[in-house]
Amino acid sequence: MSEYVLLQDYHPGRTTSLEKYRRRGGYEGLAEALRKWSSAELRQVITDSGLRGCGGAGFPTGRKWEGIRQDAPLPRYILANADEMEPGTFKDRLLIHASPHMIIEGMILAGYAVSAQKGIMFIRPSYETQARIMEKAVEEARQEGYLGTHILGSGFDFDIKIHRSGGRYICGEASAQIKAIQGMRPRPDKTFHMVQHGLWGKPTIVNNVETLAFVPHIVRKGGAWFQSLAEGENNGGTKLYCISGKVRRPGCYEAPMGTRLSEIIEELAGGMLPGCTFKACLPGGASSSFMTREHYHIAMDFDSLKAVGNRMGTGAIIVFDQNTCLVGATLNLIEYFARESCGFCTPCREGLPFTRDLLRRIEAGEGEESFIPLLKDMCHFMTHAYCAFAQGAATPVHALLTFFEEEVREHVRRKKCPYGTTHRWPGTGIEDSCRN
Amino acid sequence: MPELIIDQRKIVVPEGTKVIAAAEQLGIMIPRFCYHPALGSLGACRMCAVLFKEGPVKGLEMSCMVDVQDGMVVSTTDPEAVAFRKWIVECLMLNHPHDCPVCDEGGHCLLQDETVSGGHGLRRYRGKKRTYTDQNLGPFIQHEMNRCIHCWRCRRFYQEYAGYHDLGAFGIGNRTYFGRSEEGALSSPFSGNLVDICPTGVFTDKPSRFKGRRWDFERAPTLCLNCSLGCNMVASTRYRELVRMEARLNSRVNGYFICDRGRYGFQYANHPERPRRPTVDGAAAAWEEALHAASERLQAIREKNGRQAVACLGSVRTSLESQARLALLCRNQGWPEPLFFSDPSLSRKTRTAVSRLDSTLAVSMKDMEDADLILVVGSDPINEAPMLALALRQAQRRGAVLAVLDPRPVSLPAAFQHVPIRPSRLRSALCALITNAVPHDAAKLADPGRLQYHQRCARVAAEDREIMEQLAALPVQLRKSRRPVIVCGTDVVPETIPSLAADLALLLKQVKDDAGLFYVLNGANAFGAALLSPPDEPSGTMIENIENGNTRALLLVETDPFNRFPDQRRLRDALARLELLITVDYLPSPALSMAHIVLPACTAFETKAHYANQEGRIQTAWPAYEGGTPLSQVSGGTHPPRSFGDDLPGGESRNACRVLADLDAKLSGREENRHPVDLWNRLEERGVSVPRDFPWDENPEVSARVSVRTPEQPFSPGTLSATHDSVTDGAFSLLLVEWTFGTEELSSCSPAARQAENPPFLTMHAEDAAALGLASGDMVLLHLDDTRLKLGVQVAEKTAKGILILPRHRQLDWQGISRIPAMLFKKHIERTEA
Repeated sequence: MSEYVLLQDYHPGRTTSLEKYRRRGGYEGLAEALRKWSSAELRQVITDSGLRGCGGAGFPTGRKWEGIRQDAPLPRYILANADEMEPGTFKDRLLIHASPHMIIEGMILAGYAVSAQKGIMFIRPSYETQARIMEKAVEEARQEGYLGTHILGSGFDFDIKIHRSGGRYICGEASAQIKAIQGMRPRPDKTFHMVQHGLWGKPTIVNNVETLAFVPHIVRKGGAWFQSLAEGENNGGTKLYCISGKVRRPGCYEAPMGTRLSEIIEELAGGMLPGCTFKACLPGGASSSFMTREHYHIAMDFDSLKAVGNRMGTGAIIVFDQNTCLVGATLNLIEYFARESCGFCTPCREGLPFTRDLLRRIEAGEGEESFIPLLKDMCHFMTHAYCAFAQGAATPVHALLTFFEEEVREHVRRKKCPYGTTHRWPGTGIEDSCRN
Repeated sequence: MPELIIDQRKIVVPEGTKVIAAAEQLGIMIPRFCYHPALGSLGACRMCAVLFKEGPVKGLEMSCMVDVQDGMVVSTTDPEAVAFRKWIVECLMLNHPHDCPVCDEGGHCLLQDETVSGGHGLRRYRGKKRTYTDQNLGPFIQHEMNRCIHCWRCRRFYQEYAGYHDLGAFGIGNRTYFGRSEEGALSSPFSGNLVDICPTGVFTDKPSRFKGRRWDFERAPTLCLNCSLGCNMVASTRYRELVRMEARLNSRVNGYFICDRGRYGFQYANHPERPRRPTVDGAAAAWEEALHAASERLQAIREKNGRQAVACLGSVRTSLESQARLALLCRNQGWPEPLFFSDPSLSRKTRTAVSRLDSTLAVSMKDMEDADLILVVGSDPINEAPMLALALRQAQRRGAVLAVLDPRPVSLPAAFQHVPIRPSRLRSALCALITNAVPHDAAKLADPGRLQYHQRCARVAAEDREIMEQLAALPVQLRKSRRPVIVCGTDVVPETIPSLAADLALLLKQVKDDAGLFYVLNGANAFGAALLSPPDEPSGTMIENIENGNTRALLLVETDPFNRFPDQRRLRDALARLELLITVDYLPSPALSMAHIVLPACTAFETKAHYANQEGRIQTAWPAYEGGTPLSQVSGGTHPPRSFGDDLPGGESRNACRVLADLDAKLSGREENRHPVDLWNRLEERGVSVPRDFPWDENPEVSARVSVRTPEQPFSPGTLSATHDSVTDGAFSLLLVEWTFGTEELSSCSPAARQAENPPFLTMHAEDAAALGLASGDMVLLHLDDTRLKLGVQVAEKTAKGILILPRHRQLDWQGISRIPAMLFKKHIERTEA
């Protein structure tokens, strides 16, 4: 088995203490960086390591940090994004249990790298337990002099605040997140650059907590070590893969970046449930495309998935078996997205409920042949929404119509769901023919 | 400047222009909902998608979000773009109730237009429609959320542009709701603009609800007469009733918006008691008869008491033509020159302001947005001229610093520094600013005489020891500013202030990149009234002349002397002494009921006339309808009418200008006196240059700014001589002020605007309230000379000490004050039970 990095101290039901984290070399990287490196050198180390953002987009972290100009105004902010609301994704929650101090050290280092003085962790409200863990850990770090003024005797000041989200999916989007923190209505906003006019109009770096947790390790052990962790070329580090669905051991597993999908399903998750065969999976959370048996052995990393027209997203793998109705599964996702749309732009606000209605009708046996081209058109139109939300939401629908069009047609032809799934949508006027 | 091609047509536009605006210049209206020129781009509705075929941007993009760049080739008609836009309309129509037949927006609805032109006809969505609960948003706005297409214009206007926060967005997804957190009247005095700006029928005009379709209305470009700013509007009339006002774009004056007082203050034209036929001694008479009686009686008085016995009072709300015609009548008849202000002090202040408003200093509301510091002296914009507050907010959004020197608890929809000082201390405040903000050497360089002026200012400032402390950072901010603008009121300020404000602006102009001056006057045509007023101070006031018997006959032209006059009984007694009172007016005023001869006049909506706003901008109001009594008032509310005739019922009102000309002709027996007045000639006689070849009739948006050719001498010693700030211990001076609703003459006669009136209350500083043993919400009996007022108390921190602020409120019988300025003591202010 490969090396554990992020989950090295993970024990279910127990939070890693500061003592234990320090025994494993915790905060050494911080001390060393503050003593030896300038912020530019630290940024260089991260850039060279090839660390990429784990929130979904996979943007090179070093390049993001370099985006803040030397002469940009102060104060600057580090925003740790723990607003984990992508369906099928639960790695951040696990990570906070596994090592809150690892995230804190990552945030401090990120702060040092970009001369930020204030860190904010934006956390999902249903993660109240995790928010308290973080608050406790922040207090510990403050007591130990890792946070506050003159950290570890250096001239660097940094502090962290835990901010609980109001609890909407859109708050995970960086520009919406900073609006939420500022007490404004959260919506994506492309009129400003985060690295110039972010939080309170000041330069801001938004990183996923998983990304930040890698930083102390890279600082301590170097970029070459980081790259050696991964499988394949152009990859770095390990990845927290969340696997759910029809597998024996659903859960969050740390494995080298670029581990094959088949390996994750069969070895880490213990294979499919008895009697289940792999039909398809969503490789990167709800806004990725269905992956069929054809790519069962694909390397799970940003570039490989992109090459087959899919996306790595959060690395949350949702596995479907031969008895799962993919129309129903897609509908389930769309129900979520239609509810969570922020309502700002038309394609998302109206297009998703429209899509939901058509899918409900197909699933309920009221579908018509004309729905299929209409859905295809709408998937295309939704790519022209204001932000990536609608495009992401349309991705599984598009995949459904690309890879499983026959299954959809069967629903229409037989005027019921061939898998016999039943649904209830009170008040919509849609009768589920499968109910009887 | 970038050059691009839109639909095969080349265009060069300035850097920073959006593609949607560039297309508009070519006459191509790209469909849009969220984009609005005043609010800018948003990118929410996705309706303005076009295809970028060549150049730095490729593919389907929103034309409101993309800046023009060299080499762009844009197609607005490409099938891909058309199909996308058609789908967007389909999406917007998913939940729209299709209630156009009962929607007031129907017929001028952007959503209707885009749906029809976009080609969306067949509904593919079969789900149930989303429904919302509507709210009662007060007397002006009808709310119907089911029609909403979520373009965000209302919230952006209300919160970002206008700066009020009681209307906003709630919820997410397709349950997003635009309204208030709870039902209630909207707090913004600009709320009516929601009706104009909403692209469909979510916010519709409540007073005109169900009164007609756009195509039923007779419409015309008109002007707002409810304050001196001269905002542009469109009037809609139907069945002889003035139904509705909308904002009309004038990029120099009001931009796209107007205030609620202007929008809902027009219903005086439909007033059921409006004089509609001439009367002689209370009995209805034909025009010829009434004019004959008027001329006979005027002749008789002239023969008996001489020409000096006839006095004429014009007004600040009548047109330039009527003002000029009245002046001509007086000249032809050898009567004393007419007055236009019944308050001599206001007359002096307004005339000073007009003569000091040099064309190099005058700025428009639009110009003001470019200022980096705006100093408001003795004006409360929201209450006196609401649109000015909106302009100040736009200036601040563009980086300007705002400061207000005013005794009242001024509130603005923008952050500002408020220096609450008594009106009598405004002088020392301005002197302190002149001394501290304009360097001495600059004053010396310009003119040795000015150094002396500067020194005198310093002396005045030094008399008021606390003023520098109260001004705080303002002198430094003013010194640092590059493009300051001085806004000066003429209502509550002492007579020296308008001139001193002009001096400050003039001095700033010499040391800054630019400086501007903006007066707030009292009355829609106060500027014209000041221009046409006699240059010399008249001997005695109007009322004194009546009282001492010098004046035997009074001709009132579109004026009500009772308006603003503090001592109603005195005026009533005086008017009763007159041998002849002739009133030419359209308002059912108290003076009208006392008149021997009433000659009904037209409103600004029934006749074409010119008005000069407070910056000297002459604009045209065009007639919207023929006039006449609204059908609803003669038919008992039914239609069609049950009585028939060949005349226009109630249509006997005549343009005051014509009435005066007829009277002139009758009096002199010379038919040529009936000719229309040559307005431009009359103005030129007063030293005002008017561009004669102006294309007035070609375009309703044409306006010309005029100023007096020989302005009053700046830095005049008179300005700084008189000093009067005697504060008696325990005395409170009464300050009579304007409110947005309830004090202004015309809107007070408009039932719609009346619904927005707040009950009047007395405002005072917290320390004064403590000394009087009063708290906010208490009721007091205020003993004035001749009246006792019962009203609530409002205690404010940001108010000058030692003054009691009382609105000249319609609901308040305040006109019993025999001496102005009125001083009150504790015994006059008695706490009472509610």
